[in-house]
Amino acid sequence: MVAQLNFARLAFALAMLTLVAFVTAPAMAQEPVNPTARSVQEQQLLEALQEGQAVSGRVSIPNKDAGLLIKPEGRDWSGTHNNTVYWVSAAVILGTLALLAIFYFVRGRIRLEHGFAGRTIKRFNSFERFAHWMTAVCFILLALTGLNLVFGRYILLPLFGADTFASATQLGKFVHNYVAWPFMLGIAIMFLVWIKDNIPGRIDIDWIKAGGGMLRNGKHPPAKRFNAGQKIIFWAVVLGGAALSVTGVLLMFPELTGDPTNWQLSQIIHAVLAAIMVAVIFGHIYIGTLGMEGAFDAMGKGEVDVNWAREHHPLWVAGKDATVETTSPPRGTVAPAE
Amino acid sequence: MLVKRKSGQAGRSRLQSAVAGLASATLDRRSFLKRSGLAVGGLAAAGTLGAGTVRKAAAGPMMEGVEVDIRKNICTHCSVGCTVTAEVQNGVWTGQEPSWNSPINRGTHCAKGASVRELVHGDRRLKYPMKRQNGEWVRISWDDAFSEIGQKLVELRENSGADSVYWLGSAKFSNEGSYLCRKLAAFWGTNSVDHQARICHSTTVAGVANTWGYGAMTNSYNDIRNSKTVIFMGSNAAEAHPVSLQHILSGKEQQQANVFVFDPRFTRTAAHATEYVRMRSGTDIAVIWGIMHHIFANGWEDQDFIDARVFGMDEVRAECEKWTPERVENVTGIPGEQLRRVAETFATQKPATFIWCMGGTQHTVGTANVRAYCNLLLATGNVGKAGTGANIFRGHCNVQGATDLGLDISNLPLYYGLTEGGWRHWSRVWEVDYDYFVSRFDEVPAKAGREARTREQNMQTPGIPSTRWFDATLLDAEEVDQRDNLKAMIVLGHGGNTVPRQPEVKAGLEALELLVVVDPHPTSFASLHARPDGTYLLPAATQFECNGSRTCSNRSIQWYEKIVDPIFESATDYWIMYRLAQELGFAEEMFKNIEMVEGKFGPEPSAESLLREINRGGWSTGYCGQSPERLKAHMANQDKFDLVTLRAPADAPDVGGDFYGLPWPCWGTPEVRHPGTHILYNSEVHVMDGGGNFRPRFGLERDGVTLLAEGTSSVGAELDDGYPEFTMAVLRELGWDGDLTAEELSQIERQGGDDVDAVSWSTDLSGGIQRVVMEHGCVPFGNGKARAVAWNLPDPVPQHREPIYTPRPDLVAEFPTRDDAREFRVPNIGHTVQQAAIDKGIPESFPIVLTSGRLVEYEGGGEETRSNRWLAELQQDMFVEINPADAAERGITDGGWVWVTGPENDSRARVKALVTERVGKGAAFMPFHFAGWYQGESQRGNYPEGTDPIVLGEMVNQITTYGYDPVTGMHEGKATLCQIEAA
Amino acid sequence: MARMKFLCDADRCIECNACVTACKNEHEVPWGINRRRVVTINDGLPGERSVSMACMHCTDAPCASVCPVDCFYTTADAVVLHSKDLCIGCGYCFYACPFGAPQYPKVGNFGSRGKMDKCTYCAGGPEADMTMAEYEKYGANRLAEGKLPLCAEMCSTKALLAGDGEIIAEIYRERVTTRGYGSGAWGWQTAYQETINV
Repeated sequence: MVAQLNFARLAFALAMLTLVAFVTAPAMAQEPVNPTARSVQEQQLLEALQEGQAVSGRVSIPNKDAGLLIKPEGRDWSGTHNNTVYWVSAAVILGTLALLAIFYFVRGRIRLEHGFAGRTIKRFNSFERFAHWMTAVCFILLALTGLNLVFGRYILLPLFGADTFASATQLGKFVHNYVAWPFMLGIAIMFLVWIKDNIPGRIDIDWIKAGGGMLRNGKHPPAKRFNAGQKIIFWAVVLGGAALSVTGVLLMFPELTGDPTNWQLSQIIHAVLAAIMVAVIFGHIYIGTLGMEGAFDAMGKGEVDVNWAREHHPLWVAGKDATVETTSPPRGTVAPAE
Repeated sequence: MLVKRKSGQAGRSRLQSAVAGLASATLDRRSFLKRSGLAVGGLAAAGTLGAGTVRKAAAGPMMEGVEVDIRKNICTHCSVGCTVTAEVQNGVWTGQEPSWNSPINRGTHCAKGASVRELVHGDRRLKYPMKRQNGEWVRISWDDAFSEIGQKLVELRENSGADSVYWLGSAKFSNEGSYLCRKLAAFWGTNSVDHQARICHSTTVAGVANTWGYGAMTNSYNDIRNSKTVIFMGSNAAEAHPVSLQHILSGKEQQQANVFVFDPRFTRTAAHATEYVRMRSGTDIAVIWGIMHHIFANGWEDQDFIDARVFGMDEVRAECEKWTPERVENVTGIPGEQLRRVAETFATQKPATFIWCMGGTQHTVGTANVRAYCNLLLATGNVGKAGTGANIFRGHCNVQGATDLGLDISNLPLYYGLTEGGWRHWSRVWEVDYDYFVSRFDEVPAKAGREARTREQNMQTPGIPSTRWFDATLLDAEEVDQRDNLKAMIVLGHGGNTVPRQPEVKAGLEALELLVVVDPHPTSFASLHARPDGTYLLPAATQFECNGSRTCSNRSIQWYEKIVDPIFESATDYWIMYRLAQELGFAEEMFKNIEMVEGKFGPEPSAESLLREINRGGWSTGYCGQSPERLKAHMANQDKFDLVTLRAPADAPDVGGDFYGLPWPCWGTPEVRHPGTHILYNSEVHVMDGGGNFRPRFGLERDGVTLLAEGTSSVGAELDDGYPEFTMAVLRELGWDGDLTAEELSQIERQGGDDVDAVSWSTDLSGGIQRVVMEHGCVPFGNGKARAVAWNLPDPVPQHREPIYTPRPDLVAEFPTRDDAREFRVPNIGHTVQQAAIDKGIPESFPIVLTSGRLVEYEGGGEETRSNRWLAELQQDMFVEINPADAAERGITDGGWVWVTGPENDSRARVKALVTERVGKGAAFMPFHFAGWYQGESQRGNYPEGTDPIVLGEMVNQITTYGYDPVTGMHEGKATLCQIEAA
Repeated sequence: MARMKFLCDADRCIECNACVTACKNEHEVPWGINRRRVVTINDGLPGERSVSMACMHCTDAPCASVCPVDCFYTTADAVVLHSKDLCIGCGYCFYACPFGAPQYPKVGNFGSRGKMDKCTYCAGGPEADMTMAEYEKYGANRLAEGKLPLCAEMCSTKALLAGDGEIIAEIYRERVTTRGYGSGAWGWQTAYQETINV
């Protein structure tokens, strides 16, 4: 159970993990030293064991992890992994999908109130879009290969058989390990490029109070280049991505985590956070495509319709007004972005 | 039985058949050697094995469908004598199974025994003869090697004499090999022939033999199951003799036994004791006298036993009175009360046994230590019965046998002295003229005021101990009491890093004219120095690649079969020594009575016929009854022998009534069918059931007191009082000479010549005297007293003497080491060194007591075991154990590098720190198995390519220092001083 | 069917490592892979005890439950085995294992692991019994020959016991009764959720 793991232990520096039990004070000079009678007892060691600790001792081989003799929490982690992580992930992802579906049926697609103006305005340059799409592709690969590790055994294995599934999962493991690096790069670039437009401000409070204008037509709270919803996505991606990166690197280089308990903790954080990120990204994809007319162009083409920009990012457009008229020639047809 | 997962099989049938097709092609010997040896040689040249990937097995598993031969051999790693059961297919050793039937190991092994199969994988073995030419190792043929070595030896003999060549043999030889090596030295004409017993139990042999007759373990590992009280002193059997702990721990459990461990270090043996006593290194005599002080003060001694069977205990009692608890505590660090508890338990909860090892023997007072231990046993009557005794755990697999067979500077095979009588006995057995041997020895000129020696006198003078050979090379010729300095070392199966003062060993090696290393591995003899020329490496086979017999610590002799032929170009010891003898021109004489068989490279002496020759001359020690046939029958019937008594039931075919391995003495000819002697000096049984009593070998009386036993003799003896050894004269006096057969009598008369009366139980080649004496229930060597006082040795009553480098200079005035003297052809200046150390303030600048010892994974100098990848993985770094308090003072962390420095030769060693409470504050411990580093530098490049052991490390004996036992030349390996600092 | 277990009597274990090298010998286990190891608790202090540890072949083995590719299976003797053909070297079983049994050769980049290797209770793997294919992946199959694991068979002091759980528990119980002390059936509670009451 997650609850059984002490999250404060993320501070690895505090990890005083091995149990040196019953360090006996030097015997009184006249007391017989009876090593047989004083033998350590497994039962006592187990009872004295603090959470996450192992009954441990000395080994002569260089692999000092081998000195951890009994780690009862291995079973706890396996339980956490198999139950908590499994169900939390499933609930978060399926729940999000369900919410989005309900939202779609209730609210429907958010249309442009004034239709397409036919004139566009530059929203993301090619570098920004490159960074976004690189990260996006990586994320999808990571998510699929990652979800496979949690759910594949129960869903795909019965479908494809042990050998095919194992080969695919093996491939997935390599993909996951290699794709992680461009993903991390993408996160870093997006952070640097967009941080200046994502500093939260008072205006974001109003935006949130107004529900982002998504609940009713015609009520668009003002927003600069990024509204509060987008800022939330940004920070979720940056912070969540960073946390996934840190925990992922630790998982990839187990020697960095030191104690196995830290690795286990990293694994649980990584898995649960990844599920949450998948849910967040579902929301992001929804609003960027199906959920909102005109939104996809921003990342698709890099240019958005002026009316879309005026409705959703009036302050940003205002700042750009001088240039709006000349950036792009009018278009003949207007296609909704889907 | 197993449930296979069907889906798992189906999916991989193609891959599976492909792999199976590749691998099931049966592995024959040739391709095995190719795979495992020469091709793999460079695999780990960089020092680390390619860490990690699963490599395909070199020797492979059991091959499908190929017939399996089962061969029984004996583990080559310690004296316990575990049977190794090998599975051989197509001449390749493919598997090792538990040897359930052996009463000694009952299927079990330690880390070394369980990995012996790797020795004939041979990745790091020396593969063919090599020599060093202009600094480069080059491959040569066996013939060239022998002829070049032979020529050089003959040249040295002419210029510097026979004594300029040293024959350093091995405790890993078979009995037959040991005997052959000693015989070779005799034919060559020198007594400078030695082996590892010098550095492990030479002081034991001297001390014990001088106490009660024979220098060996009195009981057996199995017999300790009977003990109610056990003392270990300076023995870490859990690491050095792990399988013995099977018997000891079982015994401890069954008997609720008391187990005391005395050691400066809390060892793995101590972890299983019922009481651990930490003592200061080198204070054994004070500890023993401290224990005996309580025994005598409380009347716990066995006075009846002392009266009947011990001489001189009163003198010991007087010495013990001086060792009050306060004085003992001051010297040893052990509280008086603790020793009182030990004393009472040992004296009253009987049977009690006393076990010691190198912690007791490797001291300047080693022989005296041993005699003190014996005195404790004698005072409490704990000798000569089940569950009692001096259970001396020997080291190497055949160190007892090699000692018995006289691989020793001071006697001939089977403890016949270097006297005219001894030489004449063996001349008679060998059927070679006595004068021939005289002619082979050097005449020694008068030197530095010392008298000259004739050839015959030189023949009776002990040689140079293996601990001092380099002194005989480096000292001024005037200082060396033989014709010339030592110029050549012929080293057969002996490590070089096992004696102290390695910087001087290195200089000695560089000064030699010829160095020949006959060994499966190059050893530090080859790697410590970079002599450009005159070094030869000859690949010897291991004992798994030949047959013969070996003697365990408990004197049981086990016959072992060859498992596989010698691998690569390696050759058996028998062939190598035969070829050397050929080259030196005396093979015909030396092997005249030995049957030759066809070996790998041509005719070689058969082990069976060598053993028969040993039987023909082995009367003194009872090596006469163990014919090859009887020993083979024992190996074939191991399951018949009892676990505790080691005896087979009387009705067992071939081995009925025998003790396992016919432990010596096994009196008379094989036809007499003496069962061997499980427990020495046991007067509670008939001599034909392995009974005996103490041996009167020190005269018949002293100071008007008889040295014969009083009012007691062994069960069934027709003489019910003490009696002397049996000669024809004694036999005639008793009227028992009539029992001799005509054949026996004619042999005795023939060999006796003018003095038939003088023919004795130990020289009668017919065996008749022994046979007749035993028919009268008597013991051939007589019935005497043990000696508490050995008047012929230094310190007849053992005296505590401080180690040369002592942390307690304040005690040196009262307990100084012995005065300087000349011993074994070289000076022993221990006293001068001790004084100089105090004058220079060494105890202040080197405040930590350093002791050394064994690791379970390695053996001896360690080349063989450090080359075994299964063992090497378990101990990858040389280390020093240091107490947490000492470490904290010095900023040393566990696992960090440190420099250990010693008080001589500016010695220093870079090793890893193992911070542990095993050692007390002010003490440190280092294992002695490492070599291949010298003062912080790796010497991997000095090994021929592909023969460097996987693990190299600094030698503890760079740091250890001067100090020699006056009786045997044993070095001081357990108590010196050092300093440790973070590197 | 027998329920195979290991039991290390720490009051007998002297850390001689015979079990470790017997395993290496029997299965030609490469450098760096330690199917079995000996751990010394309270090293150097009175009360020091050594325990030989390998895969305990747990009841409800946690390694099997976390394996993403479900490569573990339990034999009728309750021996927990795995398929190296299916294993992807993810390392989960190492972290689930309370005894540090799973071992991985280091292959590839990023410290990524090769196929997991662990004690097979000398019972081979999914391949046909006693074939070269089985040997090269998993080592010898002694159980199929009617023999017990070599580590226990060669244990110098007979500290390490292998065999049917009830039989070895009885042996241990008798020992403790005779000698009057016992530091416990190390790992049993964690592996089998039971312990030996004396």
